[in-house]
Amino acid sequence: MSTTSDDRSAGGIAAPAGDRGGILEVFKREPVALAAFTIVIFSMPLWIPVLGGYEGLATLIVIWGIFVLGFDILLGFTGYLSFGHAAFFGGAAYVTGFMYRDVSDNVIVAFVASQVGTLILAVVIGLLAMRRTGIYFSILTLAFAEMLFAAALSIFAPLTGGYDGMTRLQEPNLFGVKMDGLTIFYIAAAMLAIGYAMALRLRNSPFGVMLRAIKENPMRLEYTGINVWRYKMAAFIISAHYAGVAGFLMVTYEPYVATKFLHWSTSGEVVIMSVIGGVGTLVGPIIGAGFVLYFQNVVQAVIGEQWRLILGLVFVFVVAFLPGGFVDLARMVWKATGNRLRARRHNVPDMELTETKYGTEERLR
Amino acid sequence: MATGANGAAQDRDDILQVNGVSKRFGGLQALGDVNLTVARSSIHAIIGPNGAGKSTLLNVMIGLIEADEGEVVFDGTPLRGVSPHNIIQRGIARVFQTPQIFPGMTLLENVAIAGFSKRDGQFTVNPHQSLKRSEVMDEASAILRRVGLGGKVAEDAGHLSRGDKRRLELGVCLAAHPKLLLLDEPTAGMARHDTNKTIDLLKEIADTGVTKVVIEHDMHVVFSLAERITVLAQGRIIADGKPDEVRGDPKVREAYLGGEH
Repeated sequence: MSTTSDDRSAGGIAAPAGDRGGILEVFKREPVALAAFTIVIFSMPLWIPVLGGYEGLATLIVIWGIFVLGFDILLGFTGYLSFGHAAFFGGAAYVTGFMYRDVSDNVIVAFVASQVGTLILAVVIGLLAMRRTGIYFSILTLAFAEMLFAAALSIFAPLTGGYDGMTRLQEPNLFGVKMDGLTIFYIAAAMLAIGYAMALRLRNSPFGVMLRAIKENPMRLEYTGINVWRYKMAAFIISAHYAGVAGFLMVTYEPYVATKFLHWSTSGEVVIMSVIGGVGTLVGPIIGAGFVLYFQNVVQAVIGEQWRLILGLVFVFVVAFLPGGFVDLARMVWKATGNRLRARRHNVPDMELTETKYGTEERLR
Repeated sequence: MATGANGAAQDRDDILQVNGVSKRFGGLQALGDVNLTVARSSIHAIIGPNGAGKSTLLNVMIGLIEADEGEVVFDGTPLRGVSPHNIIQRGIARVFQTPQIFPGMTLLENVAIAGFSKRDGQFTVNPHQSLKRSEVMDEASAILRRVGLGGKVAEDAGHLSRGDKRRLELGVCLAAHPKLLLLDEPTAGMARHDTNKTIDLLKEIADTGVTKVVIEHDMHVVFSLAERITVLAQGRIIADGKPDEVRGDPKVREAYLGGEH
């Protein structure tokens, strides 16, 4: 009767959780996924020029890859759509810029400072925004990010340089080693690989299962004895730190802080990258980031300002026909070529779980 | 070991005391001065017509709804102001009327979450964890076999039939090792054959010393399970006693005949 049961439990909770998002069956295996990922990322300076890109584009893709990876921990695992992640990206970028301009040109000092800043921002915004779910959460995060943007341009303008952004930064270095060209690329790539390894670990751990359970049914989780609030906050803070690391790297790569880093359009871009690539798959959003940046830089050079129109069409097409993003497209091709595949749900929230505080009609009874 | 914050020593071995609980929803008196004690390791049924306040009473017990007046004392400590997950951590589990499960996760994951709740519920990092992941998974599959879902561990919970969802939810509750299990119509929507299987399962769980409070419409279930029955009507207790006493009570007959059916 229960012959099929125990083979899955052998690998711990990792097995059922792990094969959700992988493109191919082999990707179930964490080390395989990580090794393949690392090779693809680190070899980017070799193959990006073949596609018409340049070295700097590889660095940008890696930096944004870190940003969207963290975003996926919050949106893909936990089901919280933040429209204000620019607050952490831009916040960390400004702190980094401030360190380079006024304090020290050492990247380690700037890194630590930027992460402390991110943590403070994440705790403050999380404590308030995480009290709500769904669209209310999205709007609260958007409002906070916009407040920060407005503050940077008004009351903090003497410090941030206002609309001009933060300029005249010292050349960042690590005890004399300049952060230019391939150096910053490899540092960023290493951070992305570490971030990816951590995200994989997280997904396949009991912690990751709790996060997925929050998305599935927060009320049941609370009534199973889990402190849902702490898990939600942890996911939010971890996610914010990925954005913070990306913000730090951005300014270290190009010693200039643009006001755009805090702008809502930055938050929007992360959402677009995630959706195009495939929410909840970890690799998908990184592919999405690569795609969008490729459009912004390479395709733009060919077709001019039309690129926004084309990208918009791609986005609409994906949302309408490929709710699972590019990763789903890869799965379809895989299936069409005669391979077997496990079913995968899209990351569209279940309508049954319309929420009050913990969800469901039970509470209203 | 504090015994009863209100000073009342536990004369019998009661695991749960409901003291003068009242709850209003707008103009509706959902519960009016409800007093109830549940003996440890017993099966206690709460019955009554629709809208009698049975589910509300269970919701008050686990902190889903806060009572306007009165208090619930579990295992010697009052539960007022304790957050829901802490109430559960103290040893209460609840099976809901509409099965509450994690639909997008496998059955094994559903139950394992409860298995991890003792260790990871508070999100504390404890380097001296005695509980191993494989132990939790093994226990989770054992529990699934026990509730009759052993052949479906790798399936998605959302695809189960309603009856199976109920069984799964029961499994989730058992994995948390509760002292007190609250069941809201555990056999609703089940065929007689499945109902009997569930009754057997509930009796078997009772043998392990878990106290159970059951809301049930099906009198067959109530009288084959319960050691004590409390009858609610319009938010008030109209009878409370052993099954035979309740069965013969004219007030109970009147409530059922005059109310529903």
